[in-house]
Amino acid sequence: MSERRRGRAGPPRLLLLVPTTTYRTEAFVEAATALGVDLVIASDRPSTFSDAYPESLLTLDFANSGKAVEVIADLARQRPFDAVVPVDDLTTEVGAAIAEALGLRTNAPAAIARTRNKHRMREALARAGLPSPSYRLFRTDDDPETAAQSVPYPCVLKPTILSASRGVIRADGPAAFVTAFGRVAAILRDPEVAGQPGSEEILVEGFMAGREVALEGLLRAGVLEVLALFDKPDPLDGPFFEETLYVTPSRLPLEAQTAIAAATAAAARVLDLRGGPVHAEVRVDAGGRPRLVELAARSIGGLCSRTLRFGTGMSLEEVILRDALDLPIATLERERPAAGVMMLPIPRAGVLEGVEGQAEALAVPGIEAVTLTAHVGQTLVPLPEGSRYLGFVFARGDAPAGVEAALREAHRRLAFRIRPT
Amino acid sequence: MAEDRGPDDQSGSEAALKDRVQELLDAAINPAVAGHGGYIELIDVKDSTAYIRMMGGCQGCGAADITLKAGIERMIFEEIPEITEVLDTTDHAAGDNPYYAPSKG
Repeated sequence: MSERRRGRAGPPRLLLLVPTTTYRTEAFVEAATALGVDLVIASDRPSTFSDAYPESLLTLDFANSGKAVEVIADLARQRPFDAVVPVDDLTTEVGAAIAEALGLRTNAPAAIARTRNKHRMREALARAGLPSPSYRLFRTDDDPETAAQSVPYPCVLKPTILSASRGVIRADGPAAFVTAFGRVAAILRDPEVAGQPGSEEILVEGFMAGREVALEGLLRAGVLEVLALFDKPDPLDGPFFEETLYVTPSRLPLEAQTAIAAATAAAARVLDLRGGPVHAEVRVDAGGRPRLVELAARSIGGLCSRTLRFGTGMSLEEVILRDALDLPIATLERERPAAGVMMLPIPRAGVLEGVEGQAEALAVPGIEAVTLTAHVGQTLVPLPEGSRYLGFVFARGDAPAGVEAALREAHRRLAFRIRPT
Repeated sequence: MAEDRGPDDQSGSEAALKDRVQELLDAAINPAVAGHGGYIELIDVKDSTAYIRMMGGCQGCGAADITLKAGIERMIFEEIPEITEVLDTTDHAAGDNPYYAPSKG
């Protein structure tokens, strides 16, 4: 039993911060339910049962940490919370602010804020001497023609505050830079984005050649436990950086994997992250040297966590909740089979009219599930402007190569009818 | 061995349970989800399990599991303790008008 729960009866009380746009509600709510916690769910928009259960279904403005802290502190006076768990990027800052105010274990809000702004993160990593690309910050109202003369090529333009590769564009020369600058600025003027702190910033980094991997980890008292290392077999060379395949375990040499873990741990120390889940995107150059693209104080996004099972079947979400609540975790060892996911990319803009081939995709040996998350009638916006996927395909097998092949074959069998708009 | 029987030859107690769940849906649950364009269909009650389908704005909604676990389930368990499980049989991928759409961003 944790120190803070000593002497208190009843199940532990958990505050789950769930953006209404997350893919992960089911996984976190199921894990919390299975653990038998006293669950309080806060979302950014009202739940249908908020009136019936106002004490356990809250609506919080995640962008206003001060107000959110006030609301939760009031609630905690009636019955204290044992942990605050943010789901996805959108809630990490407010989650840290609430947990700090309640005296619960958390990363410092300032540390989380650094991870939420790609420029501030890049500054911190470079200042600490970690391998970094050259970088320069521009404002959306800067003159792109002038800016184009001051950066190295190839380079990558990106918003400092968005995630999931939204607005990330490679430019190989001044003309492409000017076009990309206009596209990124337009994304940042989107009403859903404009007005957020950092929505006037465009970060330009030197392009880092190499293979990309994703490290899923858990920080415990400042020590990084690697939960999984995913290869991304599709080259991410631009002009857009759409993520598709994630396959674990990695096929990189052990030495390179060790270096990736060390680079991630070093970045976490520099950024002053000490606890909870982390998700790192790392480029590995031809010499096997890792360079961090970014480190987020959250777990893997989308439905990708379904690829991971630990011990006798524990989900990643259960691991995260157990860690936050100081409940025992039997093992953090990932199950033995290889596993992978394909995030189904949106091939072109339009309206989804139908999907064929699901049964055929599911029939591919090794494929466990085909989960479509876009719905018929939905307006589809591909990268770099969009941030949604058509769905996810999951596979398991004896070896990563077989998993990758199964995912590619399943994807080949799926056909999406999209009416151009 | 479990009996193999259809909805029409349910035991009296199951039929009564089904009526009570339907009444709760009509009186409290569906008015709540109607605010988001949703409605809940009761498919059946067998033993102590209620089988439901989430329709309209609930079908495919990013917050459907909050509605299910923290709303529907809780209300049914509180009001009808004989029900110990609520199973969602919805094909959420087929929802064509979810109230909240998920995003990886």
